[in-house]
Amino acid sequence: MSQALDQVKTEACRLLSEGLVDVFVGYKAADIPMHPQPAFISKADEADALVYDGFCANNLATYLPQLTRSTKIGMVVRGCEARAVNILALENQHSRENLFLVGVPCTGVLDWRKLTARFGENVSAAVDEGDTLQVTVDGKTQQLPRAEALHASCQRCQHPNPTWADLMIGEPLPEGDPERVWAQADEQIGKTKAERYAWFAHEAERCIRCYACREACPMCYCAECFVDHITPRWTESTTSPAGQHAWHITRAFHQTGRCVDCGACERACPMDIKMTYLTDKLNQDMQVKYGFVAGMDIETQAPFATFSLDDKDRFVE
Amino acid sequence: MSKPRIALFQCRWCLYSIPDQEWVDNELPENIKMVKVPCTGRVNSLYLLNAIQGGANGIMVSGCLPEKCHFKEGNLGARRQLDEYTDFMDYIGFDKRRLRMFWIDLQDRGHIQRELAEFEANLSQLEAEPAAAFATRVGGEA
Repeated sequence: MSQALDQVKTEACRLLSEGLVDVFVGYKAADIPMHPQPAFISKADEADALVYDGFCANNLATYLPQLTRSTKIGMVVRGCEARAVNILALENQHSRENLFLVGVPCTGVLDWRKLTARFGENVSAAVDEGDTLQVTVDGKTQQLPRAEALHASCQRCQHPNPTWADLMIGEPLPEGDPERVWAQADEQIGKTKAERYAWFAHEAERCIRCYACREACPMCYCAECFVDHITPRWTESTTSPAGQHAWHITRAFHQTGRCVDCGACERACPMDIKMTYLTDKLNQDMQVKYGFVAGMDIETQAPFATFSLDDKDRFVE
Repeated sequence: MSKPRIALFQCRWCLYSIPDQEWVDNELPENIKMVKVPCTGRVNSLYLLNAIQGGANGIMVSGCLPEKCHFKEGNLGARRQLDEYTDFMDYIGFDKRRLRMFWIDLQDRGHIQRELAEFEANLSQLEAEPAAAFATRVGGEA
């Protein structure tokens, strides 16, 4: 991991000093342990502040639509981020020519919640090196296998390598196990209808409508979200059950054929609400019905952006 | 038992015959609320959700045949989205048999009455089953 970090720093320094990019987007350390935050670096001598490890939980592609199209951006991307960048470029949110991607094969994002659940609130440092985490709790160092602290989305990940990058750091990793990709969705499908609704209502009822999931999602870039409309008011804007349901249903449905399953929404949620099971089902359907996986290339339009006369006619017998 | 409440999203271009037009305008049963839309392609998933949360027991979207859309391709886009929306709603516990889409041929007179009657009969059967009650809006019923 530290080798990759050195190379990221060197590349950021080179890109900025040669003027190839205006801003380099990566991560820097924050005041609290296990929470590196996104960093926007525009001077070469600031590149030393960059960090990169498994605790970098944000999806950096989220910031692409917020920067002007003429800004030349350098960015550290993992598998899911590279796919998100593909979709954003396809949806004309940024021009492909003004991007310089530094690709890093991803070993998975670590879930700090799993560490605090295990070691308590007093974790003062956690070092992600190799297959083991060195966790410092109350001055004592303890060890934890990395696989046990992976975020749920990353345990299911099928494409850890960036689909494209201007520069790749490190060796590509083996692809994920295809049988585990739909584990979560299949578990839901196996339940009865009443159980599925009970699960959905149980998760949605904790929602405080803070929209952290929306802010963390690279695909949620609408200038005005449907929940913010006042005339007409599409959904209840309070934490009533109808409002919570409407938000979770429609947020997920707007991701159909676009979600890269990075899990940033779940990691951002302060109420620890599970929501990737919703987009998993949509991703699964897109793959089964149209053979489409979001963001694998920069040309293929998402199923909802196009249509065909040959679509299976499910509604008319 | 009262009749199931149905929200009907009707494309305005495919009710060609005058008797059909008069029927939907003047003789539509009280348990059916009709929303005329310029094309099925205009039907947004939020419309359907609002109908569900407004207390509709069933939702029907009716439009022109695939090759005969007034706007050439509106219903083809709608078909993909509505198909996926039904599956998605079923996944979170809303019975997919409560959402229905069908095509009307311009020449096919009386088709809409037959489809609505059949849908209503299906919904009445569903009422007997214990179905998950979806949360409704505080504002009340449709």
